[in-house]
Amino acid sequence: MTRMMEARGIHKSYGPVRVLEDVDFDLEAGEAHVVIGPNGAGKTTLFRCLSGESRIDGGTITLAGEDITGLAGWQRVKRGIGRSFQVARIFPDMSAFENLIVAIETRERVDKGLKSTFGLVAPRAAVRGEAEDLVVELGLEGRLDEPASTLSHGDKKRLELAMSLALKPKLLMLDEPTAGMSQSDRAEAVRLIAQVREKYGLTLLLTEHDMEVVFGLATRLTVLHHGAIIASGEPHKVRADARVREVYLGQH
Amino acid sequence: MIDYRRRMRANLAIAVIGLVLFAVFPLVANSGLVFLAGLVAVNIVFGLSWNLLFSGVGLLSFGHAMFFAGGAYAMAVVSLRLPDLPFAGGLLLGAMTGGIIALVFGYIALRRASGVYFAVLTLAFSELVHIVITKTTFLGRNDGLVGIPRPVINLGVASIDLTSALAYYYFIIVAMAVVAFALWSFQNSPAGRLIQAIRQDPVRTAFLGTDVRSWQLTAFVLSGTIAAFCGAVMVPFAQIASPEIAYWTVSTEPILFTLLGGAGHFWGPAVGAILFGAIDYATRALYGLSEITVGMLLLGVVLLMPGGLLGFLLSRRTAARRLTGSGKRVPMANAEKAT
Repeated sequence: MTRMMEARGIHKSYGPVRVLEDVDFDLEAGEAHVVIGPNGAGKTTLFRCLSGESRIDGGTITLAGEDITGLAGWQRVKRGIGRSFQVARIFPDMSAFENLIVAIETRERVDKGLKSTFGLVAPRAAVRGEAEDLVVELGLEGRLDEPASTLSHGDKKRLELAMSLALKPKLLMLDEPTAGMSQSDRAEAVRLIAQVREKYGLTLLLTEHDMEVVFGLATRLTVLHHGAIIASGEPHKVRADARVREVYLGQH
Repeated sequence: MIDYRRRMRANLAIAVIGLVLFAVFPLVANSGLVFLAGLVAVNIVFGLSWNLLFSGVGLLSFGHAMFFAGGAYAMAVVSLRLPDLPFAGGLLLGAMTGGIIALVFGYIALRRASGVYFAVLTLAFSELVHIVITKTTFLGRNDGLVGIPRPVINLGVASIDLTSALAYYYFIIVAMAVVAFALWSFQNSPAGRLIQAIRQDPVRTAFLGTDVRSWQLTAFVLSGTIAAFCGAVMVPFAQIASPEIAYWTVSTEPILFTLLGGAGHFWGPAVGAILFGAIDYATRALYGLSEITVGMLLLGVVLLMPGGLLGFLLSRRTAARRLTGSGKRVPMANAEKAT
């Protein structure tokens, strides 16, 4: 396997609180890597640091061999990272369809430069076609013209996933993709994520709380505790790790 | 599904109908009223340029007077000092002056501040421009620049004489209709959709791969350029550029237009500018009372019709349709966008 992302010696503090301490983190191309840990372990902070939402206080991050430590989030997206948020971020006053149009047009702008920006009023037929394909793939039919703010929680998550896929990323980062979902929605979300991972050949990086989701998706599992990695490897081995059982799984 | 072509035709129709109404106005009104109508036409686009920032990219500018005055003074200086330069050159220089001011100030302000701090910085910059104008002899200090001639546009085969106020009025309304429709087209293009996206969620937009700050700056420069163009067009009409147009009260005008007409609608500031012009005219005899009237009216609108006049009328229309069951049921957000 080739290495997709490599983080070395990551430090991150919020004021006096040290959230991440000297974290080394590897992500191989093609794996579905799930980061778990108790609340406050630093999962979301690690996620924010890797995606570029937060600046790190020390350490380096490389993506496919390129140093991206100093790059802002939008520059990392241009290099092939797509991400979702714990609480789905979508454009609330636009229709679901327009949300997708904006995502696709943004990717085109990255690919082709400004000439795709000053088009006519209607989105180009190719853009609309692509949006329609994504709608079908993610099962968003029927609610396209409603303002996105009126969508259900699950559909907002789905729409955000569709927007991230529209960017055609190499690496897709999902921050608690099933947070707040019902048990049946969870199973559906796992199926959907597995399906798009297969279809687009994505490398996945997830944080997750729900163990069924974790073991349903993960090809590799990393456990974070008090801002440090205590175990990382194949899911069944990590599950058997004594220290992991003690600090995390033992609570269940 | 959104019918983009229909939307485009509808808004082109609005621009044309507005143009026709302004064009027939001189047939029924005296020259004093026509002069006011010309200023209202300029104010419409001035308001639209401000709302490109506010409802477009989500920036609150409290200093739009600096752009308007920048364009106006550039035009005045060019007309008086370089009489041989074609009229279009003056307009271009005027618009560019606003663009450059916006680029310099926007670059500094957007690096340092957002939200209300950004608004306060624009106010401070605008005051700076006002003070510079009142202290610069070249710009006429407190007296301003007077006696600005109206142009004769030479097209080679023919020439268009705009030296009469009426002829220049027609030039204004055509120029403003074109700019207004161009602005509508921009706000509904891929770039306009992106700017909308930035207002609704800048973090999401950044994580689609967009450099949010440079697009905010682009919108700021575009807005400043258009506001300056308005100033440049206004100057030969009034034949004077006075420091009052750089005063902070001028910066509040596009805000008033937008709140009166409705910020959520592209044409809201246009409705507001016309309404404001009408109120201003109706209360002209009540010396010193016009500000109170405008203030009371604004208070009333904000409290009773938070969506502005246009928002109020459109929501009534949608409600009526729901009650009678006639026509297509349009969700509110779509009805707003369709206008």
